[in-house]
Amino acid sequence: MFAYIVRRILATIPVMAIVALFVFSLLYIAPGDPAAVIAGDQATPADVERIRASLGLDRPYLVRFGAWLWDILRGDLGTSIFTNLPVATMIQQRIEPTLSLMIVTLILAVSIAVPMGVVAAWRQGTWVDRAVMGFAVLGFSVPVFVVGYVLAYVFALELDWLPVQGYTPFSRGFGPWIENLILPAVALGSVYIALIARITRATMLEVLQQDYIRTAKAKGVGQRSILFMHALKNAAVPIVTVIGIGIALLIGGAVVTESVFAIPGLGRLTVDAILRRDYPVIQGVVLLFSFIYVLVNLAIDLAYTLFDPRIRY
Amino acid sequence: MDRRSFIKTGVAAGAVAAGGGFAAPALSQGANARTLRFVPQANLANFDPIWGTQYVVRNAAVLVWDTLYGFDDKLEPQRQMVEGEEVSADGKTWTFKLRTGLRFHDNEPVLAKDVVASIVRWMPRDPMGQILRRLNEELVAVDDRTIRWRLSAPFTKMKMALGKNATPMCFIMPERIASRFDSFTQINEYVGSGPMRFVRNEWVPGARAVFQKFDGYVPRNEPASWLAGGKRMMVDRVEWVVMPDPATASAALQNGEVDWWENPITDLVPVLRRNRNIAVDIADPLGNIGAFRMNHLHAPFNNLKVRQAVMTALSQEDYMTALVGNDRALWKVMGGFFTPDTPLYTEAGGAMMKAANLERGRQLLRESGYNNEPVTCIVAQDQPITKALGDVTADLLKKLGMNVDFVATDWGTVGQRRAMKNPPGQGGWSMFHTWHAGADAINPILYNAVRANGDGAWFGWPNVPAVEAEVPNWLAASSLAEERAAIDRLNTAAVENVVYCPTGFFLSYQAWRRNVSGIVKGPIPFAWGVSKT
Repeated sequence: MFAYIVRRILATIPVMAIVALFVFSLLYIAPGDPAAVIAGDQATPADVERIRASLGLDRPYLVRFGAWLWDILRGDLGTSIFTNLPVATMIQQRIEPTLSLMIVTLILAVSIAVPMGVVAAWRQGTWVDRAVMGFAVLGFSVPVFVVGYVLAYVFALELDWLPVQGYTPFSRGFGPWIENLILPAVALGSVYIALIARITRATMLEVLQQDYIRTAKAKGVGQRSILFMHALKNAAVPIVTVIGIGIALLIGGAVVTESVFAIPGLGRLTVDAILRRDYPVIQGVVLLFSFIYVLVNLAIDLAYTLFDPRIRY
Repeated sequence: MDRRSFIKTGVAAGAVAAGGGFAAPALSQGANARTLRFVPQANLANFDPIWGTQYVVRNAAVLVWDTLYGFDDKLEPQRQMVEGEEVSADGKTWTFKLRTGLRFHDNEPVLAKDVVASIVRWMPRDPMGQILRRLNEELVAVDDRTIRWRLSAPFTKMKMALGKNATPMCFIMPERIASRFDSFTQINEYVGSGPMRFVRNEWVPGARAVFQKFDGYVPRNEPASWLAGGKRMMVDRVEWVVMPDPATASAALQNGEVDWWENPITDLVPVLRRNRNIAVDIADPLGNIGAFRMNHLHAPFNNLKVRQAVMTALSQEDYMTALVGNDRALWKVMGGFFTPDTPLYTEAGGAMMKAANLERGRQLLRESGYNNEPVTCIVAQDQPITKALGDVTADLLKKLGMNVDFVATDWGTVGQRRAMKNPPGQGGWSMFHTWHAGADAINPILYNAVRANGDGAWFGWPNVPAVEAEVPNWLAASSLAEERAAIDRLNTAAVENVVYCPTGFFLSYQAWRRNVSGIVKGPIPFAWGVSKT
């Protein structure tokens, strides 16, 4: 197992290298010029050219890529063209809100969606099943930003239970922290809940047809035990897989959710950087996201062994 | 159930489990009244007002850095850091004396050498500064409070240059910073002598910027008027809360989470007006001028008659309605290029701009010999203003019978592509949309969009000697009447040759909670004089 983990971690290196090359090349060929944005409308072409040179954007592709790669290898993600702050500092400023949002969303989604899927499978064909599936269709169909606006309108503006926007660091206490995260997490989690609930239901339906479930029933095992101890554990591998894949959904959804709820996270940092063509920030954040995604996949693979003893690495 | 009880009942278990319980609110009620929470027009992505000339940077910079002169609400430059000035009889030498008690935020006194270094850093980036740079013979600190500036020719607009509110403004920084970074390199220390100091460690670009009252600031005795007079801070702390989504900003203002929103979009204004806790009013009386520029280098717009056909046919009312809706208080049809209701606004020769005559436009297009060349119309979709203008233009050109190649893109791409002089089919362009701040369009030096000096002109590169001939005439004018005469001739030539197409003058709103007072209309959201209960 340990050797497997080491191998997988080592395997992330070429993956990250490909991501780095891809991101850098894509940004190199993409239109847009940060120097023109910085220079403003009053600037002459000579001014723009001078700014471009001062930022090193006039250097050839290979020189720029080489310099950037060398910095990355030394652990330096570079400096933002616009803020003049190290990219690592900007990521550090923004990572807590995004991680908080993702973790709360994940906990919320899993704790709601899995029981929903299990109950829907157990009560297949009844109104409970139809209600769960109806909710799932709604969750898939309604965009996150619409859910966000509706939640903000009802729970913030009308009922005044929760704030409309912003983020309070965890260091200021659990209450203020969670207060700012409830609405965004529910909004972001709506798609995720729908996805996990559907997969859980489908997998559970398959497992509930198995012989050993019938045997357990014949032995007089209780319904709850059958559902959650026997069936769910055996249905867990596909569910965990979907949860892992869904992390990408969360990353994408965080961009929208952070904008709607004005949360200063990595999603907004990415969008702002793309709109301004702040290349070092885009490159840094994409590398970070891809690294997180690789690690999540590794964690999912390892989690399989917990649910299915037949899987060994 | 209110918010606090909801939260307490809903998450108490979690709070206890986490061992943290509920933290005290970040601000007590008294502290809350001393903190002004402001939603700016955009993200404060950098904080060097010379290196980065975006308006949002300038708007933050006026809190932190002071200027020698400042425009008042009549667009007259008034003394600010300067106690007085003398001009030699030949008009070539200016001597400025700083007022006493000026201090930087590091408690060092503001000295003449700081002013010299700051002017030297500012000049290369500013149109008026560039003229001064060409005229400059000697700029020196005579003593700690006296600066002498000797020029090769008289420059009557000196106070305007040093006190204008158009970017980049001539902000005064410590000499150790201004001389260490040239105009094209970003500073990394934000020390000014303005009424607020920048709290750098609370700055999260894209989310928040914080300014703390500077107790060492000595305001002038005169009442505040825009950038002139006593800049008295009535709050201890100003927090800029960046909100990219207007609906969120609107909800936050209604919910009392922020106090003042610089630029609510027109669609949301009715919602805000219905809330009795919120006041809504015009933000900047100098407003903005919508515009599209045609490429004078390539067909079809290298043909004067084609340009005239488009200007004759366009209806500014269509553009303005698309942009700000039916609220007539928000827009005006322009018969000239300069900002309406400012001293140099003229409609001399401007009949074509107001024509809105599609049939006449079609006739001019036929006479032009237009040969169905494609019009590559690049339109940034991520800017609500350019998107609205671009949609109207596309419709207009089609109605005129032109072959439109509509390129929907983003502002970053427009910024790069508009600088390309290649023919439209080879990566270039035929027209793009933009807008100009009214504060910039008050004279021909600040207003580079109206200039027509060929390669030296703004994108589109119009070459109209009759326009350019009037710029030095305006500069040399010794009275407002002489200035106006020059601008009348300039406007006439600019319209006749269609330097570019203004699509109307428009205003925007600002909104604030009614417990905030002292907010004024102006080109900058001036925080001095604003108090909160």
